[in-house]
Amino acid sequence: MMEVISSSAALLLSPIVWLCLLAGVTAGMVVGAIPGLSATMGVALLVPFTFELEIMPAITLLLGVYCGAIYGGTIPAILFRTPGTPASAATLIDGYPMMLRGEAGRALSLSAFSALIGGVIGTLLLICLTPQISRFALSFGPAEFFALAVLGLSLITALSGDSLLKGAIATVAGLLCATVGMDPVSGYPRFLFGSVSLMEGMPFIPVLIGLFAIAEVFSINSDPPVAPSEKRMKLFELPHLSDIKRCGWTTVKSAFIGTFTGSTPGAGADIAAFLCYSAACQQAKEGDNYGNGEPKGIAAAESGKTAATSGAMIPLLSLGIPGDSVTAVLIGAFILHGIQPGPLLFQQHAPLAYAILAIMLCAHLLVFGMALSTASFVTQALKIDRRFLNTGILLLSLMGAYALRSNLVDCWVALGFGVLGVGMRRSGFPAAPFLLALILGGMAETNLRRALVLSHGSLGFVFHRPLAIGLLLLSIFFVFATIQRRRGQRKKNG
Amino acid sequence: MFRKGDIGAWVIIIVSVTVLGWMNFQRRAAGGKFPQRPVTLICPFSPGGGTDLLARKLAHEAEKQLGVPVLVSNITGGGGAIGHAAGRIAPADGHTVLMTTFELISLPVQGLAPFTYKDLDLLMLLNMDPAAVAVRSDFPANSLKEFIAKAKSGNPLSIGNSGAGAVWHLAAAMLADHADMPATHVPFNGASQAITALIGGHIDAVTVSPAELKIYVESNQVKLLGVMSAERLKSFPETPTCREQGQDLVFGTWRGLALPQGVSKETRDILMKTFKDVVESPEFETFAAQSGMNLHLLTSEDFLTMTARQAGEVAATMKQLGIVK
Repeated sequence: MMEVISSSAALLLSPIVWLCLLAGVTAGMVVGAIPGLSATMGVALLVPFTFELEIMPAITLLLGVYCGAIYGGTIPAILFRTPGTPASAATLIDGYPMMLRGEAGRALSLSAFSALIGGVIGTLLLICLTPQISRFALSFGPAEFFALAVLGLSLITALSGDSLLKGAIATVAGLLCATVGMDPVSGYPRFLFGSVSLMEGMPFIPVLIGLFAIAEVFSINSDPPVAPSEKRMKLFELPHLSDIKRCGWTTVKSAFIGTFTGSTPGAGADIAAFLCYSAACQQAKEGDNYGNGEPKGIAAAESGKTAATSGAMIPLLSLGIPGDSVTAVLIGAFILHGIQPGPLLFQQHAPLAYAILAIMLCAHLLVFGMALSTASFVTQALKIDRRFLNTGILLLSLMGAYALRSNLVDCWVALGFGVLGVGMRRSGFPAAPFLLALILGGMAETNLRRALVLSHGSLGFVFHRPLAIGLLLLSIFFVFATIQRRRGQRKKNG
Repeated sequence: MFRKGDIGAWVIIIVSVTVLGWMNFQRRAAGGKFPQRPVTLICPFSPGGGTDLLARKLAHEAEKQLGVPVLVSNITGGGGAIGHAAGRIAPADGHTVLMTTFELISLPVQGLAPFTYKDLDLLMLLNMDPAAVAVRSDFPANSLKEFIAKAKSGNPLSIGNSGAGAVWHLAAAMLADHADMPATHVPFNGASQAITALIGGHIDAVTVSPAELKIYVESNQVKLLGVMSAERLKSFPETPTCREQGQDLVFGTWRGLALPQGVSKETRDILMKTFKDVVESPEFETFAAQSGMNLHLLTSEDFLTMTARQAGEVAATMKQLGIVK
């Protein structure tokens, strides 16, 4: 064991590793902050650059980008209602209202702190419980994934804002949108109207960009955001102690949910962030103001999505199975450098494996440091005249939508959903349920169809899968609990 | 229009237009030798996948020989249809090369692409990955014969594939048809999800490429029963072919290079020589071995023959599966 630790340390002590970590985290935060350039894209584009590097610096660079990009998306989400990555869409629900109140610095530092806690707890779980969690993750088959998607959809009730009916309508519209594209089982093209551009389904990132960023640009704001308070921001804005106290339990709970969600092959950081956010809403207490700048909302979403990055590494390191789309790219990078992730990794390359775990922890710490030290700088962007800012956001958003697949249709999708987003805001339909239904709709449908194929068309498959039954019962419970609570609130309000 | 205050801006505009025009003139004066400007390599799939990795390594090496940058452009969507379409309509000056894949055959058959392999100028075949029949290590069958016998005796076995109508779905269907055995085809989003479900015990078998299975075979989670290639593979010398086990099946996916129709012969020859040298270099062979790719160089004519033969097989299998009417 001593030998392993000393050779791990030797791997970590080389200066190039730390240089790569710094470069990776910086590049990752920039990539994450640009709408349309997601974590997956950033890591995938960097893989060819690691051809010439040794394995340890190469993996460090890629992990740095991964961790940086997952946090980076939060900055524009809070400041401009423009989520840089899909995972940050849950943060803006409470982060943007906080910014409008002039508390951008508070929101940013809280998000960085929650991300750090989520990342550290996730990585500790990764170090201690990898075999157990990966066995649990593998037991998720089509039936369980279907049940997980239904659970996520049932939590939408908590996201609906004032009117449950409007939330439900937005959800159904999102589910409808999710059916565009090839039928997952028969390969029949649906709702394509002769074009092949949407064959792989409604492109998710352009929809996200449209619904949030472009809708915000198009909405003529009657009350412009309050400029950051006159009190000069410190160079190193620390999270407020009262916020940490208020959100502590939510952050820790979300870290656990996020790690488990991330570890299942098929659900990544975006689903984890929304699950944690909705779970937090579901357990809202007296005085919590979710959707209108509640610090706990930011804490839940940030902690959950960062923990999911560690969660996604669990099946990668223990079984060689990717936990999400980024780790799928990472597997390729490992193989190119002659290392095979999987059960043999800890036996054959123990020093490397432990060094990677240590680097994960350092990456989260570095992201935290970078986020805090740049917070006061990035909030300066709010001082730019809104007219110029909107032009820039629109341009970057359309470029992001285009960059994803170099397809002009995606720009039209983004613009179309931008118009829809404006309409939804005017008429009080919440955008978050629509988005979540679009993410989960495909997952629910594909896995239900798969489970039905496996059971030869009989719905009885559920009864052989206790985990699936449990998740489905939990979702029924959540729906009823929400309806009950809403009824109670209405009575109280008279 | 002219204001005194704007004079600086006008000077900048006029100077930049003149410089750009002069640079364009210089480029033309350099003569018509290929390549004059960066070459674009279209990859119809997204960054991170096997096709993208091959394209990027190829571009990285070809750059050194061509003397101009080779840029990979991922034009994705439509299951590869959009990238292929972009390659077909690109200017025929050799500055745009298309990385073409097996989907060139399957998409037109499904009616999802308005062109066929005949509309492209096929340059060369680079790599060919046969299908491999794989099961979990604890599965009670050690050869293809036992596997087929098991499928015929009890419940039909569930075989995972990478998507409805995708290459590995066709491979499983061809096996079932050849061996006359019942099978339940379960589509997943890509081969890696199917393999995950196999290891998790949710399905009985997969038919995907050996490269995608390599790490799971070496860690003893999965075993290969047979590969659908003409000869045994270098990377898996112990795995018998399906042909050896009485099922005469040769099927798999491939990746190659193609040009739009009408590229001049000189340009075509330069490109062909460059890419051939790159693929035959020892450095490229190490890369292929590490990523588990099975390099398989074929000249333009042989590539065309193979494509024509496969197009017929694919159309017949798809009809049988009910994917096309």
